[in-house]
Formats: sequence, C-alpha cells, structure tokens
Amino acid sequence: MTKETMIKKCLIFSMSLLLLAFTLGPFIWMLWISLADRADFLVTGKVEYSFNNYFQVLTSPSLHFLDYLQNSLIISVTTAFVVTVFSSMAAYAVSRMRFPGRSVIPLLILAMSMFPQISIVGYLFEMFAQVGLINHHLALILPYIAWTIPIALWINLSYFTQIPIALDRAALVDGAGRMKVLYRIIFPLALPGIFSSALLVFIACFNEFLFAIMLTIDYTAQTLPVGIALFQGLHGEIPWGNLMAASALASVPLVIMTLIFQRYIVQGLMGGAVKG
Amino acid sequence: MTFMVGGAPNELAFFEKILASYTVDTGVPVTLIRQSTDSAQRKQGILLSLRGQQTNPDVMLVDVGWIGQIAASGWLEPLEKYDIDKNVFFQSVIELADTYENKLIGLPLYIDGGLLYYRKDLLAENGFSAPPSTWAELRDMSERIVPRQKAQNPNFWGYVWQGAQYEGLTCNSLEFFTSAGGGFFVGTATPVIDQQANVTALQFMRDLLHKQPISPPNTFTDMKEEEVRLFFHNSNALFERNWPYAWGLHNADDSPIKGQVGMAPLPGFKKGQSASTLGGWHIVMSKYSDMKSESASLIKYLTSARVQKQLSLKLGWNPGRSDIYDDAELLKANPALQNLKQVFKNAVPRPVIPYYSSVSQILQKHINATLADRVPAEQALKQAQIEVLELIKDYGIK
Amino acid sequence: MASNNFLQNYEKGEVRTACFFLAPLLLIVGIFILLPVLGTFYNSFFLDVSFLPKQFIGLKNYARLLSSPDFWQALRFTLAYTVAAVSLEAVFGVAFALLLNEVFVGRTVLRVVILIPWAIPTIVSARTWQLIYEYTYGLMNFLVMNLGIAPERINWMGTEFGAFWALVFADVWKTTPFVVLILLAGLQAIPEDLYQQAKVDGAGLFRRFYKITLPMLKPVLVIAMIFRTIDSLRMFDLVYVLTGGGPGGSTRTLSYLGFEAFANDSFGLGSTVSVITFLISLAITLIYLRAGKFSEQLK
Repeated sequence: MTKETMIKKCLIFSMSLLLLAFTLGPFIWMLWISLADRADFLVTGKVEYSFNNYFQVLTSPSLHFLDYLQNSLIISVTTAFVVTVFSSMAAYAVSRMRFPGRSVIPLLILAMSMFPQISIVGYLFEMFAQVGLINHHLALILPYIAWTIPIALWINLSYFTQIPIALDRAALVDGAGRMKVLYRIIFPLALPGIFSSALLVFIACFNEFLFAIMLTIDYTAQTLPVGIALFQGLHGEIPWGNLMAASALASVPLVIMTLIFQRYIVQGLMGGAVKG
Repeated sequence: MTFMVGGAPNELAFFEKILASYTVDTGVPVTLIRQSTDSAQRKQGILLSLRGQQTNPDVMLVDVGWIGQIAASGWLEPLEKYDIDKNVFFQSVIELADTYENKLIGLPLYIDGGLLYYRKDLLAENGFSAPPSTWAELRDMSERIVPRQKAQNPNFWGYVWQGAQYEGLTCNSLEFFTSAGGGFFVGTATPVIDQQANVTALQFMRDLLHKQPISPPNTFTDMKEEEVRLFFHNSNALFERNWPYAWGLHNADDSPIKGQVGMAPLPGFKKGQSASTLGGWHIVMSKYSDMKSESASLIKYLTSARVQKQLSLKLGWNPGRSDIYDDAELLKANPALQNLKQVFKNAVPRPVIPYYSSVSQILQKHINATLADRVPAEQALKQAQIEVLELIKDYGIK
Repeated sequence: MASNNFLQNYEKGEVRTACFFLAPLLLIVGIFILLPVLGTFYNSFFLDVSFLPKQFIGLKNYARLLSSPDFWQALRFTLAYTVAAVSLEAVFGVAFALLLNEVFVGRTVLRVVILIPWAIPTIVSARTWQLIYEYTYGLMNFLVMNLGIAPERINWMGTEFGAFWALVFADVWKTTPFVVLILLAGLQAIPEDLYQQAKVDGAGLFRRFYKITLPMLKPVLVIAMIFRTIDSLRMFDLVYVLTGGGPGGSTRTLSYLGFEAFANDSFGLGSTVSVITFLISLAITLIYLRAGKFSEQLK
C-alpha cells in the first residue's frame, strides 16, 4: 500500500465517523429523549424507557397534535397538487411556445421566490383580514402556492426541455389540443421531474413557519411547526419527553419519505433552485 | 361561541369543566380555544385575531399589561349595557385597568401580585426568626446560609427571580425600582426611567448575579415563572420571587418542600418600602363577536361568586371580586387570602397606556443587558429613557 | 417601433394559448407575492398602530429605524450569522462531498444518512438543539463537563458569543446536506482523465485537490453558497425557538425584528424593516441570477 492510499484510507474512515456523528447525533438524541420518562437523566442517572410519550401525544385531545398534523397535511397536499398543475402548464408554455417575454418571465418568477417572507407576510395579513381569511387553511395554501411555484416551474422546465419537440408536433398535427398534449404526452414522460417538484413543494410547505405563525390563530388552522414551537407542559415548563415524541412523529415520516424518494429529491434539488 | 384562554393544561381542563356546566345551565355550547402560558404568545394570538377582525373568539382573557392597548384600539365591547355590577370587584383594579374613556371594558377574573417565598426551615436552622424585610437582609441571609447548603447540594442558590428578557422582567424590575423609591412613570406620559433610585436598584439586581452571586448565572436567560418555581421547588434555593399560584404547588402533597415554605411581602431597600406588581387577567368581549348577549352571559357566569370561589378553591387563583375574600370556606382553604387582599389593594400597576408593550420591550432589553453584564446600569436606563421619550414623540401623545 | 411589428414575429394563436397556460401562475404570484411586496412598501410610509388613526408620515419610519441601535444590531447580527454559517457550510460541504465521491464500503449508507437533517422540519431541529444546549441537563454541557473541556457548565444562551455559535451550529447541521448534494453533482461532472493525467505528472493527493478539484468545483460551489446566503439572510425560525432574540436582544435577525414589530401591532415600522430586508435580499438575488447564468439554460 502506498503512502497516498494510506492517508486516503485514514481520511475516509475518520471523515465517515465524523459525518455519522454529525448527522445522526441530534436525531438519535431526539428519539432517545422521546422514549425516556425524564429529560434530565444525564445528570440524575435515573431513567425508564417506554412509549408513553408517544401515547400521550397521540391520544391527548388537548395537545391537538392530530389537529396540527391534519392541517399540515391538508395544506401541504393541496398546495403540492395545485402547484403541480399550474407549474407544468407554465413550464409547457415556456418550453414549447413562442411568445414575447418567454425568457424574462421565468427569471422574474425565480427572483420572486427569493424574496424574504417577512417582506410579504405583513401585507398578506391585512389582505386576508379584510376578506376574513385569517385562521383558514386558505390563508396558508394561497401564499404557499405562490411561494413554491417558482421552484416547481424551474424543476419542471429542466425536464420538459429534454423531451423532443417533435413528439408534440406530431400530436398537434393529428389535431390534439395543447392541453391534451401536455397531459397525454409530456406529463408521462416528465413524471419523475413532476414527482420530485411535488415532493419538494410538499416538504417546503410542511416546514414553513413564519407565514403559519402570523396567519393562523388556533388549532383549527395551525400547522405542526407552529404547534411544536408553542408546545408546553403542565405548568408552562417544557415537557421534553412529549415534545420530542411529537417532534419524532412529525419528522420520521419525512425522513422515511426522503430516504425512499432520495433519487427524486436529489434530482429535484439539482434540476431547479432549492428551498432549504 | 368561543372562549380563548391560555394557561397550564390543568387550568384549561378546569375551564373546560366550567364551560360544560355553563352549557348545561344555558344550552349554549362554548368552544375553548387553548393558548399557551407564555404571555407574549397569548398577546400575539389575541392581537392578531382582533386586528384580523375575527368573529371568534367572542370572549377572551387579556393581561393587565396590554388591556390598555386593546381598549384604545377600539376592539372591545363596552359592558355597561349588559347590566353588570362592578362594585363587587376591587375598585382600584376596575378603575386602573378595566375602564377606558369612562366605559367599562373588562372585569378582573383574577388578580396577582409578586410575593417572596422563603424556606422557613433553613432560616430557623440558621437562627433567623423572620423573613428579610430589606434587600440587604436578604443578601446577608443568603451569604450566611448558601455556602453551608452548597456543601451538600452544589446547585443551591440564594435568590431566584424572573430575569429572562420577557414581561416578567418588567414586573420584577418595577418591584425592585419602586422598593427603592423609584418607578417607571409619573402620570401616564412622563417617563422617569433614569432616576437615581432606579439606577441603584438595577445595580443591586446586577450584583445579585455578578458580585458574590446569590442568584444563578442563568437568571437572565432562562428564568421565567416556572423555571423559578421548579428551581425553588426542587430545594435548590433559599428565596423565591413568584406570583401567588406557586403557594399551592409548593405545599402540594408530593412537593419536596411541603410545609417548609413561608410567604411574605417582597423586601424593600428600606424597611416598609416593599412593592408588589399588580398582575392578573381580565375577561373581555370582542367588538367583532357575533354572539354578544350570549358572551355577556358567559362573562357574568365566570365572574359570579360561585365560579370565582371555585377558581380560588381548585386553582388557587385570587378572585377579582373583593366581596368573597372574607368567605369562611375560602379562608379555611387558604388562610393567606386575608393578607393578600391588602397586598392587592396596594399593588403597583404597570403604566396603563396603549403603547405599554413597546415601553416594556424597551425596558426589558436594556435591563436584561445590564443583568448580562454587558451595559452598566446607569447607561442602560439612560438609553431606555431616551427610547421611551422618542416613542412618545412618535406617537404624538401629550 | 410599433408594437405591431414586434408581435409579427409571433403567431397570434400561439401567444394566446401561452397566455392561457401562464395565466394561473402569473396571477397567483402577482396577487400573493408582488402585490404584498408593493403593499409593504406603501405601508412603510405610515404610522400604523391600532390605537391611533393610520397616518402618512413620509420617511419617518426609515429615519427612526436607521437611527435605532436595534436595527444596526440586527443587521450586524444577520450579516455575521450569514457569513459564519455559509462559510462553515462550504467547508463541511466540500469535505463531505469529497468523501461521498470516493468509492468505499458504506458509501451508499452515508449518502442516505446525510439527507436526514435536511428532511427534519426546521422547528423540530430547533427544539432538539434547544434541549441539547439546555443548561442543567443538556447533552452539550454533559459532554463539555465529562470530556473535561470546561470545569463548569456553560450557559450557551447566556452570552452573545454562545448564542451566536449555538444558532450557527444548528443551522450548519440542518443545511450542510443541501450543499453536499449540490457539490456532489459538481464533483461527478469532473472528467476522470484530468486526475489520471495529473497522477502521471506526479501530483500528490492534496496538490490534485488544489489544482483540479477546487477550480472545477468553483462554479457549483458559488451557486450553492449564494443560495445559502439568500436563505440565511431571512432566517427566522431558529431564533424564534432557540433564543427568542436574547440575550439582551443580541440575536435578532432582520426577519425577527420585523416579526416582533408586526406581532406587537406596529405595522408601519414592521413594514419598514421588511422593505430593508427585501432590498438587501434583492441585491444578493440579482448577483445570484447573474452568477447562475440561468438565462443561458433557457436557450
């Protein structure tokens, strides 16, 4: 073995360990506390393990965990669906039609997705207050659509442009409408891209916090991140066990989803720009 | 109809029961909207729903610290026309907090004041027969007792109080300042924040943490009501500043310090110069409510002598009605009530002005900076005074 | 030039269909992003608190903000935070991407594992870090004391320094995976024969990294970093949970400052903070769009 391969092997080994500890440490800590009956066991040494925290979080109606989860799902799924339809329509137009502003519009849209949310949320509040939408699912769905559609547009664009135009020319000659071409020909071919954009939109909505905390008031509309941020215990202290169980319940599905659809997510992140 | 109320889950569970019995009595169903115990978050939720002109919540609890802002915004339904007898409540509280432009806009559901809790057993063991009446005494006692306790329990400290950057710090500071002869305002529009008495008091607060510290180092970052209560509860402190709610919990059957806790007025810088910040929550009706007569009936129900007694017996809250403090059943359950009535009558209110929260934020920020030992007391209060004056100028208030 | 001439290059029917296809997206972005941004600009010229009539006050909000130490503190903090977080993410990102680009046993597992922090909602990770930094029984102080790094517990949230790095580290944990993914794609695009040639020329491991990998990676790295910069500049949720802006208001980002104003019913001032945050982000976005060469992608 040469000196170089030795160094390399050592580096790879130590970096792997570092990476494992770095990424998994906090996650394991979360799961650990969620199973423990008390959070201070590192100091006291006393601890018992059970699924009690999970049980409490799922069954206690006053914690509203299931309400928050339901709101999050309704809002994220609706947004992902609408964004998929509208963004693929737009991506179709941009990638296949000639019209003035064709090259400028996607750029402007992309720029808008980078506006800080704080510069939007104050006025959104006033708009929604006037039409009585505060504390409704729509108060989050509408801005989420606007906020995520640019990324979806760019991801879809990167897939649509790879599909040969000859395919839809043929269909158009056969008398099919543009809509039909989009949904019969383009959509199936670009499905991986559309799927990854929908996935990323879903995750972004599931995570969003600033809009959610300002535009919703109570459990009938608040999402999981707000619920977890405001979570509190019997006398106002933080019930770490319950909280970490709720956190695990909120993140494990996402983690599993990410692991299963890893390929699509990575492609999505590459294809367009990205949300953190 | 909906009722928005924050608090600990046991308190909310209690409200749920009361609302259920109200529904049985009247046939009107009421939905409880839960908020957290965190006052800032409660305020934010209520401000946003009122500014958003929501028909829900119809009835809600607001803190004495921001009732002025909400009333001045015209978001509250005046209550006179609903035939309410305001004479049974603490008169000073009704005048200070629940009246805006000569209209009754709320009722005190319960009231609070800052108190000193102390370990009777440890004071007695070390030859002290009474709790401290001055801050200097509190310091002396701590310096005598804490080192001995630390030998057995390294986490033991002298005095725990609310020093984190939040509304509680303003309340604690008002007590320290007033007990030195200072205060925040003269009248409603003249701030006197940088007066010498306040500087002395703030210097003392800072020294509690940094000069022969008798308060734990995380006082200015972590210590809110519950952190303070648990710290004292777990036998880690000699003195505690807290609201009356802590009394029942310290003396609960499973409490490690049951029977060893005493309660007294807070010390002053001179004997007899004690000050207690007036706290407590008020029940109000939204102007946007779509069920106003039902809401009024719920307000009357929650402030009725019967429910007020239950609040006192079950939650240990101190009724906003002054007429039931001499009730035999209540006194038997909580003998301290007799003294509390006096404490509440003389409690110092925070300035009742629409922009109070902005003032409080300015104070918290600068006082906390001194507690963190980043800015000297005098400079911090000078800066606070300047900022509050600017605020008043910006709002064009005379 | 008449616009007729200009439109002659296009087919009328096609333009109409394109409009129809783009309309929903443009409408929704116009109403829920563009309009609110303009509205925020408008509101920033008003005194807008609920207990006084809304009144036009010109640039007073701006004057007040620019002369307020809070604003400069928040701006300084936001910038320092962004620089620290983004550069650490770049360093960790490059290191981990290089690692995951090597062929070794367990690489697939690591490539999957690294996605975990990215998948966890920010608020959840913030809460987890909050418990890690907890003063009395948190993991960090446990490690610090048991590894003998410090004799006493450290009050992480108690000093500006501690709170700053606590926030930065929580952010680095959550977003490094994103940087790694982008860099990994960049690494895979570097032709293998470049390395072979260098090896033949006798260049060592580190020399090859400096001479080939880093320059080839630079364009991708720049994009990833600018992206992270834009994101860090608007950071809000970590501060909300971890420090609440403390100690002494020293960890407030611009977004947090704006939120604080809105939540306390100061809509005019909140709008002013938002406008300034917006302008800073916009400047960086423009740089990004140029560096990303997005318009080329369309041709």
